Amino acid sequence: MLLQISDLYMSYLTIRGEVRAVDGINLSLESGEALGIVGESGCGKTSLSLGITRLLPENVSTFKGSIVLQGQELMGIPRDRFRREVNWKKISMVFQGAMNSLNPVVKVGPQVAEPLIIHMGMKKEHAKPKVIEIFETVGLPEETYDRYPHELSGGMKQRVVIAMALILNPPLIILDEPTSALDVSIQAQTMNLLKRLKKERHIGMIFITHDIALSSDISDKMAVMYGGHIVEMGSAEQVILSPKHPYTQKLLASTPRLRSFSQPDFIPGAPPDLVNPPTGCNFHPRCHMAMDICRERDPPTCYPEEGQRVECWLYGDKDE
Amino acid sequence: MGFNTRDALSEFWASTISKLGVALIILLFAISAYVLISYPTNFGTQFWNRPQHWADNPKSVPPTWVQYFTSVQKPKHQILETDFYTERNRGIRTLEFTVSFNYRADELPQFTSFSISKLTHWADPPIIRLNLERPDGKKIEDLLVIPIPYPSGNYTPPIVKYVESPYRVFLPGSSAVHNAISSFLRKEFDNIAVTPLEVAASGPEKYIFGVPDSEGSFKDILKGRYELEVVVETFDDRDTVESVKFVVGGKVYGFMGTDVLGRDLSVGLLFGFPVALFIGFITSTITTVIGAVMGITSGYMGGKLDTLIQRISDILNNLPQLPILIFLVFILGQNIWNIIGVLIFFGWSGLTILIRSMVLQAKEEQFIEASVAVGASSRWIMARHIFPQVAPFIFTQMIFYTPAAILAEAALSFLGLGDPSLPTWGQILERGYRSGAIFLGYWWWIVPPGLLIVLTALCFVFIAQGLEPVVNPRLRRMR
Repeated sequence: MLLQISDLYMSYLTIRGEVRAVDGINLSLESGEALGIVGESGCGKTSLSLGITRLLPENVSTFKGSIVLQGQELMGIPRDRFRREVNWKKISMVFQGAMNSLNPVVKVGPQVAEPLIIHMGMKKEHAKPKVIEIFETVGLPEETYDRYPHELSGGMKQRVVIAMALILNPPLIILDEPTSALDVSIQAQTMNLLKRLKKERHIGMIFITHDIALSSDISDKMAVMYGGHIVEMGSAEQVILSPKHPYTQKLLASTPRLRSFSQPDFIPGAPPDLVNPPTGCNFHPRCHMAMDICRERDPPTCYPEEGQRVECWLYGDKDE
Repeated sequence: MGFNTRDALSEFWASTISKLGVALIILLFAISAYVLISYPTNFGTQFWNRPQHWADNPKSVPPTWVQYFTSVQKPKHQILETDFYTERNRGIRTLEFTVSFNYRADELPQFTSFSISKLTHWADPPIIRLNLERPDGKKIEDLLVIPIPYPSGNYTPPIVKYVESPYRVFLPGSSAVHNAISSFLRKEFDNIAVTPLEVAASGPEKYIFGVPDSEGSFKDILKGRYELEVVVETFDDRDTVESVKFVVGGKVYGFMGTDVLGRDLSVGLLFGFPVALFIGFITSTITTVIGAVMGITSGYMGGKLDTLIQRISDILNNLPQLPILIFLVFILGQNIWNIIGVLIFFGWSGLTILIRSMVLQAKEEQFIEASVAVGASSRWIMARHIFPQVAPFIFTQMIFYTPAAILAEAALSFLGLGDPSLPTWGQILERGYRSGAIFLGYWWWIVPPGLLIVLTALCFVFIAQGLEPVVNPRLRRMR
């Protein structure tokens, strides 16, 4: 087991009150496996990734639960040790919008070398061959080393950022919407690169996106998030081909399809207010299959199929 | 730095104003280097502010080159010094020095003085006599007789005197000279009787360097070769005098004239170059370093530290600077380091506030977050990612602050709070102002230091102006 997260809670304090962005999440990941996390904006995807990497914003009020990486509990590690031992060495990250992840006034080579200098105490000139090696892995020419970010194309910058994530050879990479700012062909290139890396390097990946199709391309497992909960989780096939949660079903139905006469469906209503979440199931105000019990009690965790997990009353024992 | 250095340089070099600035600054540095090499380190205390050092110079006279603008030939300053003597024995042993000089000016010299250096005597002190032979063949006998005083108390020979500072007699102030002139006139010009008091009132130079007209008044100058004979009558064969000196005080002096103490202003003005640059650079460098470090820390770290730094900056920024500067320098003492320290203390806060606001924006960039995720320490992020964002701004601020520091020091000096051991342009201005140079029309004392202050400030402004197109796109982006 590479990563095991259990009962992770995280909330922010705002003027309006406490926002429960991550509300009791359980998930696990094996090495060489990719977990796709999908969900609409504000469902807690990015908060989850920030929680795992401990990049907590200043206004975090609650942060509890358990995150075990390679058998080591990360929650108890003090911040400074976490920075030195876990960040980037164990968990690296590819941020939304590669173009913004690079300092415009520093050449990209030295930027990619930074983790080596910070964590391995390497000299800049010793780090250079390693950077060029990793550039080769992601398909960048050697002379990229001396380029400024503005001299590179979007796809190249994306590769630079991925190269940077790989440079310390971490067991886990979190990719937060890595392709959202790229056009489709570059997206495809990047996805192929990621798939290759996953296979060659046996890296665990958490792939965060709102694009289910893109996620299904790379993910072995998929988790659907809604209002701070993972409402459904299973193998990619299970989630895509036989979604169990009404939200997943609606989400998939809203995807436009080529050569189909059916109109894409939509989900009525707005995402839940996480300061004042609805009682019972978070999704019930928008759910076309909502029952009375959904409004009153939190949904149970059910296992309708082997390896598939759903939080929904449709599959639970209502009398319990 | 982020931008391509070569492009930035060519951009900078493209404008005339920056070429001018660079030329000026090279000149300033060259002069400063020359001064640092050729001047003694204790110039201020041992030379500039020691009146004895300038005693032989004429007081408050304009530069030599003003001659080119007038038809009247003003006397040049002549210092006639010799250590060559012939020894004679006419009953008593005498040492005879001779100096001769040409006098061609249309006006009388400002003063005349005579001095002897390093006199050694074994028995009774020698007597020194001066005889001056004029171009018309007339000789002023015993123009000056100096009986060297006996040493006080018990003494063992040899007695060595006048080593550090020579024995100096100003002829206009010596009653012996007045008497000698009076008797010379009576003897050589039959019908002219001038009392010693009259000589004292008009100055002996009028008669030494003058000839009477038909009415017997001395208006014309006797031009030609004068020969001064110095006779040292000794009472022991071992007595010596190292050198004698006769000064014909000019009415013009040097390249920049002199002040009321006879100080050569060109020397002081030259010394002002390295001092001004030193004050400017030290102050601006330390100020911008503190300002930048504080601003970046304040902006990036946030929280209580931010509040603390910003409130201190606000307070420092809103205090009226000049009165506090005066107050602090007065309390701490007039020392160059105190002045620099006070300027730095009040200088950094403005920059800190500016830099912080830029950092607040810069730190929200995603690459900063990415760097945090990499596990970089705050210090690393501030140095590697935040600093380059604000570096061009900091750099121009540093250049702008240099003339500000020079001007602030000049202002303090002008108020009489300068470091007395280091002459600066501000202090020269202050002395001039105090001595009434403005009312007396001693322009050579007031204008050059003022111009030099302006020129130095201007030089940095030129460079900053030239740099502006280089750094401006980035500044605009970050503001």
